[in-house]
Amino acid sequence: MMRMREPFSYDYAPYQNRPKITWPNGARVAFWVAPNIEYYEFAPPPSPTRSVWYRPEPDVINYSMRDYGNRVGFHRMADVMAKYGVRGSVSLNVAVCDHYPEIIERCCELEWELFSHGIYNTRYLYNMTEDQQREIIRDSRETIKRASGQDLDGWLSPAISNGETTQDLLAEEGIKYTLDLFHDDQPMPVKTRSPSRLVSVPYMMECNDVPVLNFKNISPKNYLQIIKDHFDQLYEEGEESGTVMCVPLHPYLIGQPHRLNILDEALKYVTSHDKVWLATGREIAAWFEANHYDQFVDWMKPFNAEVAK
Amino acid sequence: MSLIGEDYFHYPHRRKGLDHDRFDRRYLRDLPKVDWPDGQRLKIWLTVHFEHFPMDMPSKPFVAPGGMDRPYPSVWDFSTRDYGNRVGIFRLFKVLDKHGVRATAAMNSEVAERYPYLLQEILRRNWEIAAAGTDMGRLYHGELDRETEEAMVSESLETLRRLSGQAVTGWHSPAHSQSASTPDIVAERGGKYLADWINDDMPYAFRTRAGEVTQLPLSWDLSDHKILFSQNMPIVDYEYQLDAAFDALELESRTRGARILSMSLSPWIIAQPSRIKALDRLLGRFLSVEGVGLATGEELRQSWLEMQG
Repeated sequence: MMRMREPFSYDYAPYQNRPKITWPNGARVAFWVAPNIEYYEFAPPPSPTRSVWYRPEPDVINYSMRDYGNRVGFHRMADVMAKYGVRGSVSLNVAVCDHYPEIIERCCELEWELFSHGIYNTRYLYNMTEDQQREIIRDSRETIKRASGQDLDGWLSPAISNGETTQDLLAEEGIKYTLDLFHDDQPMPVKTRSPSRLVSVPYMMECNDVPVLNFKNISPKNYLQIIKDHFDQLYEEGEESGTVMCVPLHPYLIGQPHRLNILDEALKYVTSHDKVWLATGREIAAWFEANHYDQFVDWMKPFNAEVAK
Repeated sequence: MSLIGEDYFHYPHRRKGLDHDRFDRRYLRDLPKVDWPDGQRLKIWLTVHFEHFPMDMPSKPFVAPGGMDRPYPSVWDFSTRDYGNRVGIFRLFKVLDKHGVRATAAMNSEVAERYPYLLQEILRRNWEIAAAGTDMGRLYHGELDRETEEAMVSESLETLRRLSGQAVTGWHSPAHSQSASTPDIVAERGGKYLADWINDDMPYAFRTRAGEVTQLPLSWDLSDHKILFSQNMPIVDYEYQLDAAFDALELESRTRGARILSMSLSPWIIAQPSRIKALDRLLGRFLSVEGVGLATGEELRQSWLEMQG
C-alpha cells in the first residue's frame, strides 16, 4: 500500500511577520480547557492496527483507572473550573451521552461546548473506509445534538487515530475545526479537498495531563510549572499577535485528590491575568475564520510557491 | 474491501449504565453526607504489601509491576525486593507503631510460609491479614484456566488462614489484575471484600456468583510503588502528592461526607533510609487533625455496610 510522505493538511508558515491576530477585547491569549470525557470499553472489538488494552482482558486496572474519571473525577474537575469561570470544551466520546447522561447534563448547565472524540476511545478510525468514517461523524453529530442541542463543530480523532483523508472528510461533513494537527501555536487554515473551510485550533500535548503525568511521569508540581511557563511565554508573544493556549485534561487523572490542587493553582494563575480571553474551541475557530482566515491564506502563498527549477 | 467489518459499528452495551454488570453506576458526589459510624470523617486505610517476587517468575502474559527486570538470574532485582521483608518492614513497624497504626497486611501466602517470624511480628501487632495471592509471579488474568485459578485462590486463602488464625476476608490480586472469574472464585471461598479496581475513592457493592461483596478503594496512582518505583519520582514528590490528597479528601469529608485515604505501601520501597522520615511526617500531620482516624480493610467494610443501613 502506498504511504503518504506527509499529511498534506497544511502549508508552511514561519512564526514571524505573520498577520496580526487580534482577539476580542485586546486579549493576548485565547485560553481554553479541553476536558476529555471518555468511555473505554470493558470488552472492545479488536483493532487490526493496535491492541486496545495492555494486559489480557479484562484489563481491570486500566479500565477502572479510566472509569474513575466518570464516577469521581469529572465533578471535582468541573467544580474547580466553575470556581474560576472557565468553561470546558469537551472532547467527548459520544457514547458517554448514553452511559453517563448526568455528566452531559452538568456540562450543559455549565454552558460547556461538546465536540466529538469518536464514539468510544476503544474504537479507532484506523483501517476505516471514508464512508465508515462518515458514519462515525454522523453518529457523533446526531448524538451530541440529541443530548445537548448543540451543533458538532469540533473534532479530535478518538485516541488520535486519524486516517489519511480524515481532515478532508471533516470539512466535507461541515466540521468547523480540527485538533488533530500539532504544528502551530496559532489557529491555521487546513488544506482539504473540500471548498468548506476547516480551521486547526492548537490542542497542546505539552500541557496535556496524559502525556505529562502518565507517559513522561512528570510530577504534578512540575506539571503546574509547565502550565505556568507555557502560559507566560504565550502571553508575552501574544502582545505582538494573539496566541492560543490549550490545557487538555482527563478527569481520571486531574480529578484525583492528589492532583486537583494543580488545576486549581493553574486556573488561579491564568485568570489572574487581564489580557486573557477565556474561550471555547468553537469560539476561537469561529473568530479566526471570520477575521483572519483569508489574511493567513494570502500571506502564506509565497512560502509555498513552487521553486523555479 | 475494508478491514473493518460491520460489527465494529455495533455497540451492544451503549445504554445508560456500565458495559458490564459487576456493579452499578454511581457518582461519588451523590453519596449522602454522613460521617463514619464512629463520628470520624476521614479514615486512613494503611495497607502494607508483603510480596515475594520469585527470581524465576514467568514473563507471560505480563510481568507484575516490580517484577524481575533484568536477565535471569537477577539477584539484584530479587534481593532488592526481599530487602523489604527483612529490613524495610522493621523500619516501617517502628514508624507505624509510633503512630498507633493497625495496618492491613496484603500478603502473598508464600511470604507467610517463608518467614514465620515476620508473620508473628505482624500478628502480635493485631494487624489484619488480607490475601494477596500466593506470590508476585502467579497472576490472576484472563488467560488462566478455571481450575488453575481456583487452586491458586484456595492456596492463598487456606495458607494464610491456617498460619494466621484469622478469618482473612480481604482479597487483593497481585498487580491489581483479575480474570473475569477472580471475584467469583474469591467470594465462593469466603472473601468479603476485594481491593483491585481503582475507579472510586469509596467502597461499593460488587456482584459475584456467590453474592455481593464489597470493593474497597486501594490506591494505585497514589501508592509508593507507582510514584517512587514505576514513575521514579523523588520522595519529595511523594510527600507532596500525599499531602495534596489528604487536603482534598479532608475538605471533601467536611463538605460531602465520609471519605477514605488509601496509603498503599511496600516496605522495599517506602522503607528505604532516605524515604522513611517522609512517612513519619505525613502520619504525624494527618493523625493530628480532628475527625481523622485509622481503619483496616475489614473495619471499613463493616462500617460501610452499617452506613448502608
